[in-house]
Amino acid sequence: MANTSGNAYGLTALCPIINGHTNDSNPLYKAAGESHDKEVRRILQALPLNQESPFANTDNTYLARLFILNDVFFQQGNDFKRDQLKSKYLCFNSNFHGELEPYLTSLWNNNENQVREIWQHCVAFESVSNANDFVRYIKSCQLTTTLFFNGSNDQPVAEQLKALYVKQMFSEFVLTQQGKSAAELKQAFKYFLQRVQLNDVKSPSWKPGQTEVTL
Amino acid sequence: MSNIAGKAYAMNVITPIPWWKAIWQHAAFKFVVRFPSNLKGLINLSLIHYARWTIIGRNSFPHLAPSQPKEDLHYSYMMFESNFNGSWDQYIDSFSFAIPEGLDLFWRFNIGYPKSIPLHGFYNYIRFNQIETDHFYNAYPCASSNDVKSATHLYDNLKDFTETSLELSDEDFEQAYNALLLDNQQYLGCMEAGPSLSLKEY
Amino acid sequence: MSYIDGSSMKESKSLDLYDIQGNVCKGYGRYGFPKARYCFLSFQHTHSAREFLALLIEKITTAETWPVSESSDHHRIKPNSTLNLGFTYSGLKKLGLPERSLKGFPVDFTMGMKARSEILGDTGISAPEHWDDIWQQDNVHAWVAINARDQDAIEFEFNALGDLVTQHPDGVRIMSGIKGPNNTILPYQDASAVFENGLPTAKEHFGFTDGIGNPYFEGCGNSMSRLPGRGKLMRDGSWQPLATGEFVLGHVDEAQEYPPAPEPKLLSRNGTYMVYRKLHENVDTFNGYIDNLAKDFDGSRDLLMAKMSGRWPDNGAPLTLAATDEEKETLDAKMASIELRVSEGDKSALIERKELRRQWVDFTFNDDKSGSRCPVGAHIRRTNTRGSLETEHKAFHRPGALVDRRRLMRRGLPYGGIDEAKSDSAEQGIIFMSIGASIERQFEFVQQQWVNYSNDFKLGNDKDPLIGSHDGKLTDKHIIQGCPIKGAKPPFFCTQMPRFVETRGGDYFFIPSISALRMIAEGLIDPS
Repeated sequence: MANTSGNAYGLTALCPIINGHTNDSNPLYKAAGESHDKEVRRILQALPLNQESPFANTDNTYLARLFILNDVFFQQGNDFKRDQLKSKYLCFNSNFHGELEPYLTSLWNNNENQVREIWQHCVAFESVSNANDFVRYIKSCQLTTTLFFNGSNDQPVAEQLKALYVKQMFSEFVLTQQGKSAAELKQAFKYFLQRVQLNDVKSPSWKPGQTEVTL
Repeated sequence: MSNIAGKAYAMNVITPIPWWKAIWQHAAFKFVVRFPSNLKGLINLSLIHYARWTIIGRNSFPHLAPSQPKEDLHYSYMMFESNFNGSWDQYIDSFSFAIPEGLDLFWRFNIGYPKSIPLHGFYNYIRFNQIETDHFYNAYPCASSNDVKSATHLYDNLKDFTETSLELSDEDFEQAYNALLLDNQQYLGCMEAGPSLSLKEY
Repeated sequence: MSYIDGSSMKESKSLDLYDIQGNVCKGYGRYGFPKARYCFLSFQHTHSAREFLALLIEKITTAETWPVSESSDHHRIKPNSTLNLGFTYSGLKKLGLPERSLKGFPVDFTMGMKARSEILGDTGISAPEHWDDIWQQDNVHAWVAINARDQDAIEFEFNALGDLVTQHPDGVRIMSGIKGPNNTILPYQDASAVFENGLPTAKEHFGFTDGIGNPYFEGCGNSMSRLPGRGKLMRDGSWQPLATGEFVLGHVDEAQEYPPAPEPKLLSRNGTYMVYRKLHENVDTFNGYIDNLAKDFDGSRDLLMAKMSGRWPDNGAPLTLAATDEEKETLDAKMASIELRVSEGDKSALIERKELRRQWVDFTFNDDKSGSRCPVGAHIRRTNTRGSLETEHKAFHRPGALVDRRRLMRRGLPYGGIDEAKSDSAEQGIIFMSIGASIERQFEFVQQQWVNYSNDFKLGNDKDPLIGSHDGKLTDKHIIQGCPIKGAKPPFFCTQMPRFVETRGGDYFFIPSISALRMIAEGLIDPS
C-alpha cells in the first residue's frame, strides 16, 4: 500500500479552492473582494509555528505542510503543450504515524476553529460539520502515493520524541561521568534514570515542535 | 512563508509527464520498490526524513462539486514532496553528486527533465518547478533524520542495559557501562538548533 | 544508462600556466618561500587605480613551471620573491567593471565574508566587531601577497610596491589597521613558517604539522607523484586528478559543466576565488586544555593532540598509519632506520622512504569506520572526508562523491609568535587561504556543515575540536572513539572545549587571470 511505509502514513490531499472573490458581507474576511486563494494563503502564512502549530497537537504528526498550488508550470518552448489549472488547490501533505481516520479526527477535534478557517475556502466544505465529515472530505481529495521513501522510522511520535530526549540527556550525562569512581558512576546513573524515566514515554520528553534543547 | 522548520526543509516539486509515459514512471517506481537495493544511495545519504512521489493522472485532480470546473489537461503530473536536512543547495548538490542515476530514474519520463548531470540544468529544473510552502511543521526542529535514527537505537539499547545491569556490583556495573558506551559511541552526538538554512537575511 | 565519468580524463590536459596566477597552482612554501607579507589596498579613483594596476601586472607571478637548471643539483631557477593579487567585489566595482559583469559574480563573493559571518560560525569572540580595524569599514579593495625566501626580499619587494603606490597617490593607498606583534598597528600582515634550528618547518603555533594533502587537479603542473591521496578516489582504489574547473574558472568541473562565472568569458577564464582568514590561536588556552585533559587520558600528550587533529603533531603522520603510542614508536623507529640507511647511501632505502611518506597522504578511512584509529570528528577527517561518507560499499556514483566537490586548496602560513610577552592575547595564528571555483560550495560548506556541525558524520551538532566555534559548554565536545571489540577501552570525551581559534579578519577575493588583469587595467571588460 503505497500510502504507507510500515506504520508511517503519507497523506497527499489536493483540496480545490473556490474560484472567485469572497463574500463582502461576511465579517470573517479581512478585506472585501479578496479572492479565496489569497485569503487562504494569508491564513496559512499567519498560522502559529512549531509548538503552537495546529499540527503540534494533532496526534502523531512527524512533518506536515500546507501550500497552495496556483497552477502547473509550462515547461517553455515550442515542444511542449500549455496546461492551465481551472482551480487552485490547497495542498495538504502530512507524514504521520498510524492510520488516516484517527489522524484526521485528531486534527479536527484539536483544531476545529483553525481547520474551518482554512478549509472554508475550499469547494464543498460547507458539507463538513464534524470530524467524520472532515475525514470523508479529505479522503475525497486524497491522492494515492506512488512511492514512499521512509528515511527515518515508523515509530509513534511520542516514542521518537522520548528517544530524542533520552539521547540528549544521556549524551550529556556521559560527559559528566568521565573519571568518576565505579560507586559514584552507578549512583549517578540511578539518579539519571529517576530523572529521565525511561519507560514513561509521555514525560519527561521533548514537546512536539519545540525549537530549543533545554537541559 | 517558510520552507524551513529547524533542521528540516520542505520541498514541493510538480512536473508534467505525458499520460502515456506515466505508466512507465509507475513501472520505474515499482521496480525500485521490488528491488530496494536501488535505494541504497538514497539511504546512505541519510538526509531525508520522509519523501514521496505521487503521480496525478490528468483526470484525477479532485473534483468535488458541479460548481467546480473540471480540469482539462494535456499532461499528467508528478508531485514530489521531501522533508530533508540541509539547505536547498546542499541537498541538490549531494543528490546530484552521489546518485545521479537514481535521480534520473525518478524523473526520466517527466517533460523537460534534463538529467541530473550537468548540475545546473538539474538545479534549474527543480527550482523552476518548485512551489513554496506556506506552513511547515516539524515535530523535532532540533533533530535531523540521523539524530532521530540514532536516538531510537540509543533509547532501545539503554532500556536493555537498565534491565540487566542495575543489580551488578559497582565494578561489574562500570564494566557493563563502558561496554554500553563503546557499543553506542556513534549515537552520542549532542543536539541543538541546526546551522542556518535560510537566505532571508541575505 | 552510461555516464561520462571524470575517470576518463588523463593527465594530458595542459593549462596556460602563464595566464593563471602562481598562488593558484603553487603552495609557495613548498618551493622554498617560507616568508610572506600580505597587504591590502584601497582604491580612491578608478582611472588612477587602473594605471597603477597596469604597472603592477608586470610584477605578478604566474603559475609557469620554473625551469630546472643545468647544474649538477638540477635546482629550479626561481625568483627571489613572488607577487600575487586579488580583488574584493567592492574593489572590482571601484575598478569600473561594468554593472552586468559585476552582477554575474556569485552572491557569496559579492556579499563578502563579513556579511556571511553567521554561516561561518564567526560569532561571539570571532564576530566581525572583534576583527582588526582594517576590516571594519568596507573599503578593502585588493589583496597583494609577497612571498619570499627571506625577510630582506620581502622588504625589498614591499618597498617597490610602496613606490608604485606613491606614484598614484590619488588612486591607491596601502591600508593600515592590521594588528601586529607587541600591540603595533601595521599596514601589512607578515607571515612565516615556524623555524626550528634555523630551518623552516610545516608547524603552526599549537604544535601541529600543517598543510598536508592539498588537492591535485588536472593541469596544475605538479608532478604526478603527488596525485595519490590528493586527487579523487576511484572505485578501484586508484586516484585521478580532480577536474580543473573545481579550482579554475573557465574549465570543466566535476559536475561536467563550466562553473558559473561572470561575463565576459575573458574576465573569468583562468581566474578563481580565494578566501582569506586571519585565524588567531589562543596558544596558552590550548596548551592548558591539553595539559589538563592529558591527566585523564590513557595515552601520551602527543597522542591526545593527534586524536583531535587526525595527525601526529611532530611529523604529521596520520592516525591511519599509527593510532597508538606503541604504533607511533614503531613507525618512528622504522623511519629512523631508513634515514640512517639513506645517509649511508643505500638506494633501496630511498625507495622505502618514498613509499612510507606516500602513506602520509595516500590513505582512506575505509578500514576505520568506527573512528577507533582516527576519530570520526577529528580535524582532518572532517575537512577532507575522503571516501568515508559512503558508508555502504558502492552506494554512490563514486566513493568520494560527497567530498570531491568540497575540496579546499589551502595556501597560507602561520603568523606571529614573536611577541615579547607570551600569552593568548599575543599576536599569533594562521593566515588561512583557500582557493576554489565556488566559495559557497567548497569553503563555506565545509566550514558550516563539517567544521561547526556533524550531521554528515551522524554526530549531531558536535564541532571540530581545533577550529570549531566552541564556547566552553559541557557539550562543546569531541569524542575519541574506542575500538569496537569486547573488552576494549570506552570512548574518551574531550568536553567544555573553549574557542581555541578566533577569526580576526578576512574577506573573499577574486584572483583574475593575467589576461583579465590587463583588460581590467585597460578598461576593456565588456559583457556585450
